[in-house]
Amino acid sequence: MSATLVLILVVIGAYLAAHVMFEWIARRFLIVSGAEYLLLGILLGPHVTGLIGTTVVSNFAPIMILALGGMGLLVGTGLRIPEMRRLRSVHFRVATLEAVLVLVTVAGVMTLGLLLLFEISAREVVLSATAFGIVATASAPSGVILVARHLRGRGVVMDQLTVTDWVNGAVAIVAFAFLLCLVRVDPTAGGVSLAPIEWMVINVGIGLFGGILFHLFLGADKDFDRLTVALIGAIILTTGAAAYLQLSPLLPTFLVGVILVNTSPVQKQIRELLARVERPFYYVLLIFAGAAWRPGSGGWIVPIILFLAIQTAAAIGGARLASRVNGMTSSLGPNWGIAMLGHGELALAIGFNYLLLEAAPLADLVFSATIASVFLTHFTAARFVRSVAQDAASSVMPPVAGNR
Amino acid sequence: MRRLLILALLLAGMQLILPLGSVGHASEVLLAFGFLILAAYTVGEIATYLHLPKLVGYLVAGIAFGPSALGTVSEASVANLSGVSQLAVALIAFLAGAELRWSDVRERWNVILKMMTAELALTFLVMTTVLVAFRRFVPPLEKLQPLEALIFGMLFAAVAIVHSPAVTMALLSETKARGAVARTTLGVVLIADVVVVLVFSALLAIARRLVPPEAHGAAIPVASVFWEIGGAIMVGALLGAVTALYLRFVRRELLLFAILVAFFGTEITRLLRVETMLALLTAGFVTQNVAREGDILRGAMERSAAPVIVVFFALAGAKIDIGQLAMLFPLALPLAVIRATSIWAGTGLGARWARAGTAETQWVWFGLVSQAGVALALVNIFAEAYPARGIDLRALMLSLIAINEMVGPAMFRRALVASGETSQTTSAKTVTLTTPQRVLPEP
Repeated sequence: MSATLVLILVVIGAYLAAHVMFEWIARRFLIVSGAEYLLLGILLGPHVTGLIGTTVVSNFAPIMILALGGMGLLVGTGLRIPEMRRLRSVHFRVATLEAVLVLVTVAGVMTLGLLLLFEISAREVVLSATAFGIVATASAPSGVILVARHLRGRGVVMDQLTVTDWVNGAVAIVAFAFLLCLVRVDPTAGGVSLAPIEWMVINVGIGLFGGILFHLFLGADKDFDRLTVALIGAIILTTGAAAYLQLSPLLPTFLVGVILVNTSPVQKQIRELLARVERPFYYVLLIFAGAAWRPGSGGWIVPIILFLAIQTAAAIGGARLASRVNGMTSSLGPNWGIAMLGHGELALAIGFNYLLLEAAPLADLVFSATIASVFLTHFTAARFVRSVAQDAASSVMPPVAGNR
Repeated sequence: MRRLLILALLLAGMQLILPLGSVGHASEVLLAFGFLILAAYTVGEIATYLHLPKLVGYLVAGIAFGPSALGTVSEASVANLSGVSQLAVALIAFLAGAELRWSDVRERWNVILKMMTAELALTFLVMTTVLVAFRRFVPPLEKLQPLEALIFGMLFAAVAIVHSPAVTMALLSETKARGAVARTTLGVVLIADVVVVLVFSALLAIARRLVPPEAHGAAIPVASVFWEIGGAIMVGALLGAVTALYLRFVRRELLLFAILVAFFGTEITRLLRVETMLALLTAGFVTQNVAREGDILRGAMERSAAPVIVVFFALAGAKIDIGQLAMLFPLALPLAVIRATSIWAGTGLGARWARAGTAETQWVWFGLVSQAGVALALVNIFAEAYPARGIDLRALMLSLIAINEMVGPAMFRRALVASGETSQTTSAKTVTLTTPQRVLPEP
């Protein structure tokens, strides 16, 4: 049977399974579904059953890149400024500090670890360690969303978790885009030679251009078909432009998402349309990411365990330090960082994007560590969030209400 | 003005980005795809200001930005986007099948069959006769032996009698046309498509015996022709039944499901070597007439088809070789005129035979002039069978198709407007959800 046909059947099967079983499980037991498709991708991929061969994986490269662009757009459309303005600024200060602490801590420790474990250049070590740091920063929004929906209410902790999730996503995407600009200057990357900062400006420019183009294209028209063409065209164009220049498609599409969700007069229709295309992007990304995974040597176990340990410590410690510096410990409790332990679609997209770059050092290791983290934390991401939200509600909520 | 600004921005953006990257990178195809969606759609809107169908705009955009003109979209990108074209063909075929209601087909069967028979027979006969009789004026045929000239002339005529389901469907969507002319044209185009594939395949099998092909295995055995058609109907019916079951018991995430049905249909028909368009057409027909929820899936399919249809026609335009068209234009134009005249005469005869209404007699033939994907596919099969001897004839065929591709949509639009069957008032979404007559979204 052809691999493409297998792939189509798998997607159909996975889709039916998702609706019949996983959605119910997610609601009933607060388990975030998604990682099962990643596992499915690994099982079908060239290194386990071989049903999806290496050629098929490389033939579908444009679709995988498009899925990455779609992920950036989805994260971007989550950043609605009117919604953010309703929240206190201290939440943003705490979140930014937490994100930076996690990024720097994980990157720093991984630099030391990789220097000891691998005989590669210092540049390669720093680049791959930074990739580890960025993956650790990207928390899973699905857990926060699921719990927010489940609890049907807001509070200081849920507000903080929501803001932290936004900020983590934004910091991870921007940092990753810059990392790829650094990787991009490698002479083997092809194309013209520019400084990393110039590539970064180009990457941002693509996003702004896509956003402006979308506006011009749509005008004041609310026709659904026109919206579909404009949105799909803008995603594909910005993703294609960034990937063609071997830059991250996540940042430009993230910017398009932020622009359109905050400035367009048809935000409601955009959200409706995105809700329809969100799942396809997500499933394609997960299945292909699984299929693209390449097993490594036994020597990878130590750095992966080191990454998992340090990212856990950094998330909890960083959150605790950030809240203490901003005087929010009494409101948020000491362990709210546990809620940020879950890694999901964005972390996977970053790891996968890193893997797709030919010039990226230790790409297989970074991606394997991302997959390990997703498997360990994604299913329980919502439970982490709920435990933090419930602890806060039972112990610290009354004083918080007084403070506000 | 706004649309011109969009076009200028798009072109400027592409000119800035293309030199910065490495040509031939896998992502170039995405860049070209995104550019074509937005650029072709914009040109399509400009075309409406000139009272031309949007399709013509998409085709013009493809020609203008394609490899033979500005070169913004490279030849490699056009080739790499063939998957999008296949998906578009599958979606169009499914939607076309879903448009055919059993009650409607029964009601119009007599008119459709008689008009189609007369039109196909007369056009085939006239085109073959003209090509053979005047072969000394047709460079690709002049040096051939009489038997070879006759066979090649018949194969040329078999390509010339092909219509374009894609153009028909897209225009019915654009104009939101309903009524006798629209429905009879659609019926003739869809059923003729099946007949022409059979005729062409049978002719190629005969040609293989009389004029042995240069490429071994390129010609199609008669048995496989029957499998190609019969198998397609079986596969399509099965796919339609499964789709109907999905609609009955699951009925969720229809946007993705619609795309998966199209992808699955394309892939399974390729593997089983059956006619893709016929299989998807059957699937659409079965779904629409078996499942009560058929309209819901059609709505989802219409929405997902909009961008791929824009690119499908833009790619069709990009494949037109302007240089070759200019060179063969003096020969292709008279052939196009003869073909159109034959269609007019044949349709008129058929209409009288079937005692069709005045509107159908007067306007249906306008919708039968267009040619696109199916005709191009047959030309490719011919070229594979006769790569050396058929090369000049292939170029002439392509030139003829290019003329019909450009002129046909404008003619059909005029017919629909003149017969008073168009409706421009209902909003796209409302029509999709409430009126079963709607075919595709307004691109």
